[in-house]
Amino acid sequence: MAYTGVTPSARSRGMVREARHLLLTVAPGATWIVIFLVLPSAYLMGVAFMTNGPYGLPEMPLSLESFRRLAGFGFLGWSPGNLYTLLRSLWQTLVSTGLVVIVAYPIAYYISTCRARWRPIMLLLVVVPSWTNQVIRTFGWMNLLAPGTPLSNLAEGLGFIAPNMGLYPSNFAVTLGLVYNFLPFMVLPLYAAFEKLDTAQVEAAQDLFASPVRAFWHAVFPQTLPGLLAGIVLVAIPAFGMYVIPELLGGGKGMMLGNLVANQFAGGANWPLGAAGAILMLIATFIGLFAMRRIGKRLGGGEEVVI
Amino acid sequence: MTINKTALALSVGAVMFAGSLQAQENKLYLFNWTEYMDPEIIEAFEEKYDVEVVQNYFNSLPEMFAKLNAGGVSQYDIIVPSNYYVPRLIQTGLVQKLDKSKLENLDNVMEQFRDPAFDPGAEYTAPYQWGTTGIVYNSETFPDAPKSWSLLFDPEVNPDHPFALMGDGQVSMGGACAYLGHGYDCTDMNAWKEAARLLIDTKGRDTFSGFTDGTPALQQLARGVTHVGLSYNGDYLFFKDEDPETFENLAFMIPDEGAEMWVDSMLIPSEAPNPGMAHKFIDFILDAEVGAQLSNYNYYASPNAAAAPYLDEVLTEPPVQPSDEDMERLRFTPSLEGDALQTFQQLWSEVQSR
Amino acid sequence: MRKRTFKRCLTGFWWFTLVFLYLPLAVVVLFSFNASNSAATFTGISLRWYGRLMGNEEILSAFANSMILAITSSVIALGIGCRIGYGMYRHRHRKLGWLIVLIYLPIVLPDIVFGISEMAFFVQIHRLTGLLQPGLGTMIIAHVTFQIPFVALIVYSRFVGLDPTLFEAAKDLYATPIKRVVHFMLPTIKPALISAFFLSFTLSVDDFVISFFTAGPESATLPIYIWGAIKKGVSPEINAIATLMIGAVAIAAVISLVFSRRRQA
Repeated sequence: MAYTGVTPSARSRGMVREARHLLLTVAPGATWIVIFLVLPSAYLMGVAFMTNGPYGLPEMPLSLESFRRLAGFGFLGWSPGNLYTLLRSLWQTLVSTGLVVIVAYPIAYYISTCRARWRPIMLLLVVVPSWTNQVIRTFGWMNLLAPGTPLSNLAEGLGFIAPNMGLYPSNFAVTLGLVYNFLPFMVLPLYAAFEKLDTAQVEAAQDLFASPVRAFWHAVFPQTLPGLLAGIVLVAIPAFGMYVIPELLGGGKGMMLGNLVANQFAGGANWPLGAAGAILMLIATFIGLFAMRRIGKRLGGGEEVVI
Repeated sequence: MTINKTALALSVGAVMFAGSLQAQENKLYLFNWTEYMDPEIIEAFEEKYDVEVVQNYFNSLPEMFAKLNAGGVSQYDIIVPSNYYVPRLIQTGLVQKLDKSKLENLDNVMEQFRDPAFDPGAEYTAPYQWGTTGIVYNSETFPDAPKSWSLLFDPEVNPDHPFALMGDGQVSMGGACAYLGHGYDCTDMNAWKEAARLLIDTKGRDTFSGFTDGTPALQQLARGVTHVGLSYNGDYLFFKDEDPETFENLAFMIPDEGAEMWVDSMLIPSEAPNPGMAHKFIDFILDAEVGAQLSNYNYYASPNAAAAPYLDEVLTEPPVQPSDEDMERLRFTPSLEGDALQTFQQLWSEVQSR
Repeated sequence: MRKRTFKRCLTGFWWFTLVFLYLPLAVVVLFSFNASNSAATFTGISLRWYGRLMGNEEILSAFANSMILAITSSVIALGIGCRIGYGMYRHRHRKLGWLIVLIYLPIVLPDIVFGISEMAFFVQIHRLTGLLQPGLGTMIIAHVTFQIPFVALIVYSRFVGLDPTLFEAAKDLYATPIKRVVHFMLPTIKPALISAFFLSFTLSVDDFVISFFTAGPESATLPIYIWGAIKKGVSPEINAIATLMIGAVAIAAVISLVFSRRRQA
């Protein structure tokens, strides 16, 4: 609109200037990300297609060997180890995301029903633990679940764990650690959804449906769905690639895909295999994001997943 | 407008420069096992040569090897790996030959360490300490513990107390091999497969608590997290001395089926920033009195013949110096390469992921 | 009546969740004062683990590294990120799909993939050119990379929230672009810059995985040190450092609360 009534040449000059402006503001950052993230990722993908050298480093020629290895085929024929790891990662992601939803949903609702002046404080209380370092948080659980601690003794008394054992290390501890780690990521978007809840709709539904459960299902739940989906993206994607928590709380029994990948580098075992695992993780991530977008669009909420 | 581009270029440049600036002349970067060096030796060396020694630590050999591959080769001056990792360090070109003319104290080294199998002619290595890896267990929990790997691998011997295996796959695998009667240093494919199966079964037991590296395993035992684990004789004595009360009920044992004996050596990475100082450091450690001081601090046996007169008495008796019977059963962990290494890695990763 | 029971249940659940959220941290704090080296039994109050921290050079240098890393990377990220934020705003009518993808990439990439690809890449570049030796330098690069998007998005959303006519007014008021930036642009987005800086700072201090894989021998940060100490199995001292870090977070929480209060008022 600013250009109406200007000669064509001046307009094109303006457009050139605009384009240059765009380039100048955006170029440094874009270049940075391309050089220091896109290139490295591309390099890693390249590594996945190289051959594993005698001591774990990538070598020429190119091959698909590491993907075969990832699928479980080795010198010894097929073995299910990597598949176990993959399934365990999926399972842990599923269970912990589910648990996080179960805990976060009522909490987010509860906060939204409290007095306005308390809400920021309550949100802060939920978020603050996640400001502490991930390693420290996990270490806290190590202390809490070690053998001989009250929680472990309780679990032992109830017959959940073998005598003399602690709740950590175990797969259970990993699940707990994941739930603890990601709870705030679910509470925040859900709270945002509850805050915007259209109460008129809810009241109408309460008149319409006899049972509160049905009223909830038809009036409240659909409105919170965008927040829920955003939360699931925020929880499930990082949970799937988690490294720290299984490493510290799993004790060798709870290896996840992130550990498989990291071990290939930090254990000096096999870079191409690790890179192939990383590609698998990337694919899973993008499938997850894509699926969320599709579902989000179908719901018509137009709610963008902003982090 | 070009100011911005320049600013970006400058900041990138500065960052890169800062990265390459780190290795300075008057520093010596030592990459060693945890709890393996007397701070007083470091101080004495710093004073003598007016240099700052920067120490970095590793808990296991795979970790050390990975760090070296990830750029460490140009950042450390000295590394102290165990025997079975030396060949692969040499073959991958990660270490350089020693300049023996700079090592006056080399003559102090005991006869049996002068031409080790893992480094013929000792061209790359100078010995640091030697020791054994054995089973450490709680003698209150197991008053009649058999002198055997069965304490770890037989569910009937240890039905309900938590235990840990070694984080370094070759040691855990060796133990399983020994228990199965194939000897600690087995490399036979079928023996390995059997051992891997045993490890997977063992992992599946409720009381398996994890794969733990040698030094942390002792902390776990001390805190009651586990009741049996694998660790090193010297570390065991070191912590026992530090905390006699807790360690009173912990015992060190070399299983009769055979176990690991190792030699840790000093090597210089091929792109070490300060190889001159590294040679001085190696020579310093090989000195008779410093060598003795090191062993007296570490509770590990010294490969230094000249150090003998200065050694504490505890270093002349078990578990530092194993009994003759035990000595016969001790084996070096085999150095793996090529297909054997690849096969091993696959078996081990299978064990880890199940 | 039923509604009240429901509400009461929710209140109970809220408190239960709070216990769940704070119990692990409370245990760390409690045991940092434990007189004995035990995670199971509390034998008495003592400050010995804090005493051990004081003389520990490694911890002090890890702390210094954490600070240098967080401040340097946040400043660089701020410089680069707010330019993108502004660019995105000015040209928001264009199709900037590729830019959005690029900006979201560091956010959605799993930490471990991020860290490992940078490590492998830096190692390769170092092998070829001698540049980019793993250390604080490479860590700063990696941190800036994951901070840029957050800065850009915060600055962008601040601009979007402004009245567009302000820009026209500024154009009339100040002759040169530089003056416009100094006297109009920067002051208006100051709150966004401050919160972007703090977010970047927090992200940097909090990061473990990416730092872990891009670090060199001398550039261990506090989380890396703690990780090493946990792996080594020496725990009571870790409780003490962790408590100090939790204390810093608690202070930050109170400050942010005070700020949000003031903004509301």
